Amino acid sequence: MRKTNRNADADEAEIDLTPMLDVVFIMLIFFIVVASFLKEAGIEMNRPESNQNPPESDATSIVVTITGDDQVWMENRRIDVRAVRANIARLLASDPEQSFTVKTEPGATAGTLLEVGDAAREAGVKQVNWPAEVKK
Amino acid sequence: MSRRDIASGKRAGAQGGGEGEIDLTPMLDVVFIMLIFFIVTSSFVKEPGVDIVKVEAVTTDACERGTIIFAVNALGDVYYDKNQIPVERAYRLAEAAKKEAPKANFVIQADVDAPTSVLSELLGVIKPLMDAPLCASTIDEG
Repeated sequence: MRKTNRNADADEAEIDLTPMLDVVFIMLIFFIVVASFLKEAGIEMNRPESNQNPPESDATSIVVTITGDDQVWMENRRIDVRAVRANIARLLASDPEQSFTVKTEPGATAGTLLEVGDAAREAGVKQVNWPAEVKK
Repeated sequence: MSRRDIASGKRAGAQGGGEGEIDLTPMLDVVFIMLIFFIVTSSFVKEPGVDIVKVEAVTTDACERGTIIFAVNALGDVYYDKNQIPVERAYRLAEAAKKEAPKANFVIQADVDAPTSVLSELLGVIKPLMDAPLCASTIDEG
């Protein structure tokens, strides 16, 4: 007799999940709406610590300078942006472990800087160093 | 097709009203898994909200966890979270963002014509907070 009663109770006393389901659905919709699957892509630029030795004193370092009027200088001569990759690849061939530094002067544009960085990465440098601009 | 069929159908329907509730448990499982997935993946990125022309680069890689985004437009104005900000304020904003999401890395979206002097200054300001190299946003050329 008692057993039957308990059985009936267990059957009836199921928790009503509907309110929880409502809450869960609202949370789900909120997170779907908020989730922005935005994937940034780009190239890495490393800012060396300012207390490090200036790169020009380092014998095994490739330095490219971008002047204020967006000219690209390398090894004391002016080169075209499109020639940067080939030039860096040539220098890297002798010593693949060389570090790479791109220096900019005030007035240069980000387009040239990133193109040079891209060319260097394409040529195979491991890290593009971009020290702070020297204020004039 | 007689009254008997209709009658029996009706009877079954009446009976099913009490017993035949749909079991919501599997759906609840799925919904919970989706919920957890979205909670984990949502990153609450504050977009700079300014149109810039990005540089095309062959070696474009994904910016790992690059969710703190500053933008510098062609005039050299710095944008963060849809507002133009002075460069000096970038540190406090970056610090707050970093506190909110300690694993986030920094991204700078620079216009093709953005002056590097502003970029350099901005990078200098947020440099102490960075634990990975800066990701300069580009478009994949390939």
